[in-house]
Amino acid sequence: MSSDLMSAMGAAATGLRAQTVRIRISAENLANADTTAATPGGDPYRRKAPVFRTFYDREVGANTVKVTGSREDKSPFQEKYDPSHPAADARGYVKTSNVSSLIEMADLREAQRAYEANLNVIESSRAMMLGVVSLLKA
Amino acid sequence: MADPTQMSVFSLMKARLQMLGERQKVIAQNVANVSTPGYVPSDINQEAFSATLQRMAGHGSGAAGPTRTAMVATQAGHMAPPASGGGTQMATTKSPDSETTLDGNAVVVEEQMMKIAETRMDFETMVGLYQKSLGLLRMASRAPGR
Repeated sequence: MSSDLMSAMGAAATGLRAQTVRIRISAENLANADTTAATPGGDPYRRKAPVFRTFYDREVGANTVKVTGSREDKSPFQEKYDPSHPAADARGYVKTSNVSSLIEMADLREAQRAYEANLNVIESSRAMMLGVVSLLKA
Repeated sequence: MADPTQMSVFSLMKARLQMLGERQKVIAQNVANVSTPGYVPSDINQEAFSATLQRMAGHGSGAAGPTRTAMVATQAGHMAPPASGGGTQMATTKSPDSETTLDGNAVVVEEQMMKIAETRMDFETMVGLYQKSLGLLRMASRAPGR
Protein backbone atom coordinates (compact mmCIF):
# COMPACT_ATOMS: atom_id res chain seq x y z
CA MET A 1 0.00 0.00 0.00
CA SER A 2 2.67 2.44 0.98
CA SER A 3 4.65 1.27 -2.02
CA ASP A 4 1.71 2.40 -4.16
CA LEU A 5 1.99 5.84 -2.60
CA MET A 6 5.74 5.76 -3.21
CA SER A 7 5.06 4.89 -6.85
CA ALA A 8 2.62 7.80 -7.00
CA MET A 9 5.33 10.13 -5.73
CA GLY A 10 7.86 8.62 -8.13
CA ALA A 11 5.55 9.14 -11.11
CA ALA A 12 4.81 12.71 -10.03
CA ALA A 13 8.54 13.34 -9.65
CA THR A 14 9.16 12.29 -13.26
CA GLY A 15 6.36 14.70 -14.21
CA LEU A 16 8.19 17.51 -12.39
CA ARG A 17 11.40 16.62 -14.20
CA ALA A 18 9.71 16.53 -17.62
CA GLN A 19 8.04 19.90 -17.08
CA THR A 20 11.38 21.36 -15.99
CA VAL A 21 12.97 20.21 -19.25
CA ARG A 22 10.03 21.76 -21.11
CA ILE A 23 10.59 25.09 -19.33
CA ARG A 24 14.29 24.87 -20.15
CA ILE A 25 13.58 24.36 -23.85
CA SER A 26 11.13 27.26 -23.80
CA ALA A 27 13.76 29.44 -22.16
CA GLU A 28 16.27 28.45 -24.85
CA ASN A 29 13.77 29.44 -27.53
CA LEU A 30 13.08 32.81 -25.91
CA ALA A 31 16.78 33.50 -25.39
CA ASN A 32 17.47 32.75 -29.06
CA ALA A 33 14.47 34.61 -30.46
CA ASP A 34 16.79 37.20 -32.05
CA THR A 35 19.57 34.85 -33.11
CA THR A 36 20.30 35.20 -36.83
CA ALA A 37 22.75 33.36 -39.08
CA ALA A 38 26.43 34.37 -39.18
CA THR A 39 26.67 34.09 -42.96
CA PRO A 40 24.69 36.04 -45.58
CA GLY A 41 21.41 34.31 -46.45
CA GLY A 42 21.92 31.58 -43.78
CA ASP A 43 19.23 30.09 -41.58
CA PRO A 44 18.62 31.64 -38.15
CA TYR A 45 17.73 29.82 -34.91
CA ARG A 46 14.94 27.30 -35.38
CA ARG A 47 12.40 26.89 -32.56
CA LYS A 48 12.56 23.59 -30.64
CA ALA A 49 9.68 21.70 -29.06
CA PRO A 50 10.01 18.98 -26.41
CA VAL A 51 8.86 15.41 -27.16
CA PHE A 52 7.04 13.74 -24.27
CA ARG A 53 6.80 9.97 -24.03
CA THR A 54 5.22 7.70 -21.46
CA PHE A 55 6.99 4.52 -20.44
CA TYR A 56 6.73 1.99 -17.65
CA ASP A 57 9.52 2.39 -15.11
CA ARG A 58 10.01 -0.93 -13.31
CA GLU A 59 11.94 0.71 -10.49
CA VAL A 60 9.21 3.24 -9.79
CA GLY A 61 6.47 0.74 -10.61
CA ALA A 62 4.34 3.18 -12.57
CA ASN A 63 3.86 4.71 -15.98
CA THR A 64 6.30 7.57 -15.82
CA VAL A 65 6.92 10.34 -18.31
CA LYS A 66 10.13 11.39 -19.98
CA VAL A 67 11.21 14.06 -22.42
CA THR A 68 13.00 11.95 -25.01
CA GLY A 69 14.47 14.92 -26.81
CA SER A 70 13.39 17.91 -28.79
CA ARG A 71 12.22 18.24 -32.36
CA GLU A 72 12.52 21.26 -34.57
CA ASP A 73 9.58 23.45 -35.43
CA LYS A 74 9.29 23.34 -39.24
CA SER A 75 7.25 26.52 -39.55
CA PRO A 76 8.73 29.13 -41.94
CA PHE A 77 11.14 31.86 -40.82
CA GLN A 78 10.21 35.52 -40.73
CA GLU A 79 12.00 37.94 -43.06
CA LYS A 80 13.12 41.44 -42.25
CA TYR A 81 14.50 44.09 -44.63
CA ASP A 82 17.90 45.16 -43.26
CA PRO A 83 20.58 45.45 -45.99
CA SER A 84 23.33 46.53 -43.58
CA HIS A 85 22.96 43.35 -41.49
CA PRO A 86 25.87 40.86 -41.89
CA ALA A 87 23.37 38.02 -42.49
CA ALA A 88 21.39 39.84 -45.18
CA ASP A 89 21.01 38.01 -48.49
CA ALA A 90 21.42 39.52 -52.00
CA ARG A 91 17.97 41.16 -51.82
CA GLY A 92 18.80 42.77 -48.48
CA TYR A 93 16.52 40.54 -46.39
CA VAL A 94 17.54 38.88 -43.12
CA LYS A 95 15.81 35.68 -41.99
CA THR A 96 14.75 35.84 -38.35
CA SER A 97 13.86 32.89 -36.13
CA ASN A 98 10.38 31.33 -36.04
CA VAL A 99 10.11 31.80 -32.26
CA SER A 100 6.89 33.51 -31.22
CA SER A 101 7.18 34.97 -27.75
CA LEU A 102 3.39 34.70 -27.32
CA ILE A 103 3.45 30.93 -27.89
CA GLU A 104 6.47 30.52 -25.62
CA MET A 105 4.81 32.46 -22.80
CA ALA A 106 1.63 30.39 -23.11
CA ASP A 107 3.74 27.21 -23.11
CA LEU A 108 5.67 28.39 -20.04
CA ARG A 109 2.44 29.08 -18.18
CA GLU A 110 1.07 25.66 -19.11
CA ALA A 111 4.28 23.97 -17.93
CA GLN A 112 4.04 25.89 -14.67
CA ARG A 113 0.47 24.68 -14.09
CA ALA A 114 1.46 21.08 -14.83
CA TYR A 115 4.40 21.43 -12.44
CA GLU A 116 2.10 22.66 -9.68
CA ALA A 117 -0.32 19.79 -10.32
CA ASN A 118 2.51 17.28 -9.89
CA LEU A 119 3.63 19.01 -6.68
CA ASN A 120 0.05 18.75 -5.45
CA VAL A 121 0.10 14.98 -6.08
CA ILE A 122 3.33 14.61 -4.09
CA GLU A 123 1.95 16.69 -1.24
CA SER A 124 -1.27 14.62 -1.09
CA SER A 125 0.60 11.31 -1.18
CA ARG A 126 2.88 12.51 1.57
CA ALA A 127 -0.07 13.54 3.76
CA MET A 128 -1.72 10.16 3.20
CA MET A 129 1.45 8.35 4.20
CA LEU A 130 1.79 10.47 7.33
CA GLY A 131 -1.79 9.51 8.19
CA VAL A 132 -0.85 5.83 8.09
CA VAL A 133 2.27 6.45 10.16
CA SER A 134 0.17 8.29 12.76
CA LEU A 135 -1.67 5.00 13.41
CA LEU A 136 1.45 3.93 15.27
CA LYS A 137 1.24 6.88 17.66
CA ALA A 138 -2.24 6.10 18.95
CA MET B 1 -10.28 -14.61 15.38
CA ALA B 2 -7.04 -14.16 17.26
CA ASP B 3 -5.53 -12.03 14.53
CA PRO B 4 -7.40 -8.71 14.33
CA THR B 5 -6.32 -8.22 10.73
CA GLN B 6 -8.44 -11.25 9.81
CA MET B 7 -11.63 -9.69 11.16
CA SER B 8 -13.99 -8.75 8.43
CA VAL B 9 -14.15 -5.03 9.33
CA PHE B 10 -10.40 -4.73 9.27
CA SER B 11 -9.95 -6.71 6.09
CA LEU B 12 -12.58 -4.56 4.37
CA MET B 13 -10.89 -1.36 5.53
CA LYS B 14 -7.52 -2.74 4.49
CA ALA B 15 -8.86 -3.54 1.02
CA ARG B 16 -10.26 -0.04 0.68
CA LEU B 17 -7.01 1.56 1.83
CA GLN B 18 -5.15 -0.57 -0.70
CA MET B 19 -7.56 0.48 -3.42
CA LEU B 20 -7.19 4.17 -2.51
CA GLY B 21 -3.40 3.88 -2.51
CA GLU B 22 -3.53 2.27 -5.93
CA ARG B 23 -5.93 4.96 -7.14
CA GLN B 24 -3.52 7.65 -5.96
CA LYS B 25 -0.81 5.97 -8.04
CA VAL B 26 -3.04 5.80 -11.12
CA ILE B 27 -3.96 9.49 -10.81
CA ALA B 28 -0.30 10.42 -10.28
CA GLN B 29 0.47 8.66 -13.58
CA ASN B 30 -2.27 10.65 -15.29
CA VAL B 31 -0.98 13.96 -13.93
CA ALA B 32 2.62 13.11 -14.85
CA ASN B 33 1.50 12.40 -18.41
CA VAL B 34 -0.50 15.61 -18.78
CA SER B 35 1.70 16.67 -21.74
CA THR B 36 2.18 13.31 -23.44
CA PRO B 37 0.51 13.18 -26.86
CA GLY B 38 -2.10 10.44 -27.18
CA TYR B 39 -2.22 9.64 -23.46
CA VAL B 40 -5.64 8.59 -22.16
CA PRO B 41 -5.99 8.69 -18.35
CA SER B 42 -7.02 5.62 -16.34
CA ASP B 43 -8.92 5.16 -13.13
CA ILE B 44 -9.70 2.29 -10.78
CA ASN B 45 -12.68 0.26 -11.92
CA GLN B 46 -15.04 1.02 -9.01
CA GLU B 47 -17.64 -1.58 -10.00
CA ALA B 48 -15.07 -4.37 -10.04
CA PHE B 49 -13.79 -3.19 -6.67
CA SER B 50 -17.21 -3.10 -5.03
CA ALA B 51 -17.95 -6.57 -6.43
CA THR B 52 -14.72 -7.75 -4.81
CA LEU B 53 -15.73 -6.16 -1.51
CA GLN B 54 -19.12 -7.87 -1.69
CA ARG B 55 -17.36 -11.18 -2.18
CA MET B 56 -15.03 -10.52 0.74
CA ALA B 57 -17.87 -9.48 3.04
CA GLY B 58 -19.77 -12.61 2.01
CA HIS B 59 -16.87 -14.92 2.77
CA GLY B 60 -16.28 -13.26 6.11
CA SER B 61 -12.90 -13.65 7.78
CA GLY B 62 -9.90 -15.10 6.09
CA ALA B 63 -11.00 -14.27 2.57
CA ALA B 64 -8.38 -11.61 1.93
CA GLY B 65 -6.97 -11.19 -1.52
CA PRO B 66 -9.54 -12.47 -4.01
CA THR B 67 -8.77 -9.39 -6.11
CA ARG B 68 -5.63 -11.03 -7.34
CA THR B 69 -5.63 -13.31 -10.32
CA ALA B 70 -3.00 -15.86 -9.47
CA MET B 71 -0.66 -17.34 -12.06
CA VAL B 72 -0.60 -21.11 -12.19
CA ALA B 73 2.22 -23.37 -13.36
CA THR B 74 0.54 -25.62 -15.93
CA GLN B 75 3.67 -27.29 -17.28
CA ALA B 76 6.74 -28.79 -15.71
CA GLY B 77 9.07 -26.21 -17.29
CA HIS B 78 7.18 -23.19 -15.92
CA MET B 79 8.74 -20.95 -13.33
CA ALA B 80 7.04 -20.96 -9.94
CA PRO B 81 4.42 -18.20 -9.61
CA PRO B 82 5.32 -15.50 -7.09
CA ALA B 83 4.09 -16.09 -3.55
CA SER B 84 0.70 -14.55 -2.88
CA GLY B 85 0.40 -11.52 -0.65
CA GLY B 86 2.63 -9.32 -2.77
CA GLY B 87 -0.06 -6.67 -2.97
CA THR B 88 -3.41 -6.73 -4.68
CA GLN B 89 -3.78 -5.68 -8.27
CA MET B 90 -6.85 -3.56 -8.91
CA ALA B 91 -8.53 -3.45 -12.27
CA THR B 92 -8.03 -0.14 -14.03
CA THR B 93 -10.04 1.19 -16.92
CA LYS B 94 -9.40 4.00 -19.37
CA SER B 95 -11.45 7.00 -18.30
CA PRO B 96 -10.86 10.01 -20.53
CA ASP B 97 -11.66 13.41 -19.02
CA SER B 98 -14.14 15.87 -20.51
CA GLU B 99 -11.74 17.26 -23.11
CA THR B 100 -9.28 15.79 -25.55
CA THR B 101 -6.62 18.05 -27.04
CA LEU B 102 -5.57 18.01 -30.70
CA ASP B 103 -2.59 15.76 -29.93
CA GLY B 104 -4.92 13.12 -28.47
CA ASN B 105 -4.17 13.78 -24.79
CA ALA B 106 -7.32 13.35 -22.70
CA VAL B 107 -6.02 14.52 -19.30
CA VAL B 108 -7.71 17.56 -17.75
CA VAL B 109 -5.60 18.67 -14.76
CA GLU B 110 -8.55 20.14 -12.86
CA GLU B 111 -10.51 16.90 -12.97
CA GLN B 112 -7.47 14.92 -11.86
CA MET B 113 -6.98 17.36 -8.97
CA MET B 114 -10.58 16.73 -7.92
CA LYS B 115 -9.88 13.01 -7.93
CA ILE B 116 -6.70 13.52 -5.88
CA ALA B 117 -8.63 15.49 -3.25
CA GLU B 118 -11.38 12.86 -3.22
CA THR B 119 -8.89 10.02 -2.79
CA ARG B 120 -7.07 11.86 -0.03
CA MET B 121 -10.30 12.55 1.87
CA ASP B 122 -11.45 8.93 1.56
CA PHE B 123 -8.04 7.71 2.63
CA GLU B 124 -7.99 9.92 5.73
CA THR B 125 -11.53 8.83 6.61
CA MET B 126 -10.48 5.20 6.35
CA VAL B 127 -7.36 5.73 8.47
CA GLY B 128 -9.52 7.48 11.08
CA LEU B 129 -12.01 4.65 11.03
CA TYR B 130 -9.23 2.10 11.38
CA GLN B 131 -7.91 4.02 14.37
CA LYS B 132 -11.35 4.11 15.99
CA SER B 133 -11.86 0.38 15.46
CA LEU B 134 -8.49 -0.34 17.05
CA GLY B 135 -9.60 1.85 19.96
CA LEU B 136 -12.74 -0.26 20.35
CA LEU B 137 -10.65 -3.44 20.45
CA ARG B 138 -8.36 -1.87 23.01
CA MET B 139 -11.32 -0.84 25.13
CA ALA B 140 -12.74 -4.37 24.98
CA SER B 141 -9.46 -5.96 25.94
CA ARG B 142 -8.81 -3.69 28.93
CA ALA B 143 -9.19 -5.27 32.36
CA PRO B 144 -12.49 -4.26 34.01
CA GLY B 145 -12.36 -1.35 36.39
CA ARG B 146 -9.27 0.23 34.89
